[in-house]
Amino acid sequence: MIEVRGIRKTFGTGDSAVHAVDHALFTVDDGDFTLILGRSGSGKSTLLALIAGLIRPTEGSILINGTDIGTAADTRMAHLRARTMGFVFQFSGLIPTLTALENVLVPTLFLRDAPGNRERAMFLLGKVGVAGRAHAYPGTLSSGEMKRVAIARALINDPAILIADEPTGDLDTDTEAEIMALFRELNRGGITIVMVTHNPDLIPCATNVYRMERGTLKKVPAGPACSSNPPGGPASVNTGDRV
Amino acid sequence: MREYPLSGLFMLADRNLRNRPARTIAVAATFAVIAASLFSAQYLMSGARQSLDNGLNRMGADLMIVPAEYATSGEDALLTGRPTTFFFQDGGFETIADIPGVARASPELFIGTLYGQACCAGPIQLIAIDPAHDFTISSWLKENPSVIMGKDDIIVGSAIAGDIGSDLRFYGHTFHIAGRLDRTGLSGVDMAVFTRIEDAYTMADESGIKAARKLSIPKGMVSAVLVRVSPGSDPQTVSGEIMNRVPGTKAISRAGLSGTVSERLKTTASLLYGSALVVTAVTIPLLGCVAVLIASERRRETAILRGLGASQSFVRNLFITESVLLTLAGACTGIGTAALFLVAFGDFIAISLKIPFTMPPAGSILTSMGVALCLPVISGIIATLYPAVQVSRADPYTVIREAGI
Repeated sequence: MIEVRGIRKTFGTGDSAVHAVDHALFTVDDGDFTLILGRSGSGKSTLLALIAGLIRPTEGSILINGTDIGTAADTRMAHLRARTMGFVFQFSGLIPTLTALENVLVPTLFLRDAPGNRERAMFLLGKVGVAGRAHAYPGTLSSGEMKRVAIARALINDPAILIADEPTGDLDTDTEAEIMALFRELNRGGITIVMVTHNPDLIPCATNVYRMERGTLKKVPAGPACSSNPPGGPASVNTGDRV
Repeated sequence: MREYPLSGLFMLADRNLRNRPARTIAVAATFAVIAASLFSAQYLMSGARQSLDNGLNRMGADLMIVPAEYATSGEDALLTGRPTTFFFQDGGFETIADIPGVARASPELFIGTLYGQACCAGPIQLIAIDPAHDFTISSWLKENPSVIMGKDDIIVGSAIAGDIGSDLRFYGHTFHIAGRLDRTGLSGVDMAVFTRIEDAYTMADESGIKAARKLSIPKGMVSAVLVRVSPGSDPQTVSGEIMNRVPGTKAISRAGLSGTVSERLKTTASLLYGSALVVTAVTIPLLGCVAVLIASERRRETAILRGLGASQSFVRNLFITESVLLTLAGACTGIGTAALFLVAFGDFIAISLKIPFTMPPAGSILTSMGVALCLPVISGIIATLYPAVQVSRADPYTVIREAGI
């Protein structure tokens, strides 16, 4: 469970201070698919970074499964990111010197007891449809393939929460649809998803939808498709956590 | 406590180094030069000292008394095996033997042989001993009871050609090789032939008829007196007393020989140590700059790692691990190359520098390797530490936004 308790993130001081996130207050329950919409510069990526513990709030607190990540030590926070969260960057964020398979395995390097291993990585690459490109370097992959590898990487340590920053932003319509289908399947499999996007067409995918404007968060009604297809229901896919 | 396995650090570090081969090779080569210079200097110093110890232990003497004007020749004869012939009044021997602090004294004759000996490329040093007083060859004979040194028998140094039992001719006189000393690395021993004084006189007497050039050994003269100091006596004090009582003599001591060797090695050692220090002094800030550039260039990668769950310590240690691997690879290459070169050309270097030389003991070699490894590795860590700490503390969110990740 993610509890965001009135957080504010301010960049700069005095007259030049900018409240990128201004008193955001919401809760994400286990199994939720939360969508945060907003234009560029509205503060949604900052909010996501706050939830992921990449930056600390100026005010307020964020609790991940009861742990206040605003005050947690760097080591504790890093462990939480590696073990509990999967992060999908906006532009895939693959390391160019590693193959797709090795990129997927990167989060396992940060944990002594990482649940991920080579077999699971291959399974996940298969799950996202790029098993055949396991030994290819990112420079030889298409945008869609890179995004799939990044999703497989986010899932390698069997995280409870998947955080995605505009994961379909740079993809064509077909690939976007495929990626979103994949996210829905993951959500049905029990993974909590918090996704930032500027695309309102994705609203039907979510259980909770928020719109961000100038750092302020407003709840938006979820789409009808979500209510007829509740998350956490019968799973049509698993993430390979039994591998 | 470290929360991540080391294997991950090594895997990423290894990949990063391999991915930039030109830079990796250039930096590693610099550290190879540092390590090679350090190792070579220590190896040569250690080999020279070891050789001097071996040789002087074989001689069994604390002091060698020679005519003052031949002190340099005497040192050269011992250190480089360059043959020399000189004599001084035997009267000195009796006086020296009676000086307090002198446990034993042994007269010796130094005779340089002629060119064209079967055993050797050039003239060698013939050392004639007095079996009644000698403690150099006699102690060796005690260790090798099967060897008997009778009339016209010689004991040869390890570098003298000829099988035991075969004959060698000097000044037309035929000698019989009775035994061979172990290698010491001290040319004055390894390239010497030991005979008895009475056989040397016979050889000199016959040389007028049998040799191309007549050898004259004035009766009642010696070339040197080897002195073993009594336990508890100070060799320096005894040598001073000897030079007082027997004017015109000079005492060559262990410390003096070590000093001469150190002096001869000084230029080479200074050059090697100096170059290692200069390269290190230049490399640390240079590597620091390279590390800053690399850290800047890899901000995107480190931000991704942080976003995926790497702690600050992981990122910091990743940079330091790369530095350690790089410097280790360079240092190992440098030491390996230097070791091969020194093993192949050690004797040639020793001859060129006019120093005694033998392979140092394993412990000494390992110590030299350790020092030659440590300096580059520590330098590498020092140079990388600041950029590593800086990049690990960088705010990943800012980098992610700036880099458009």
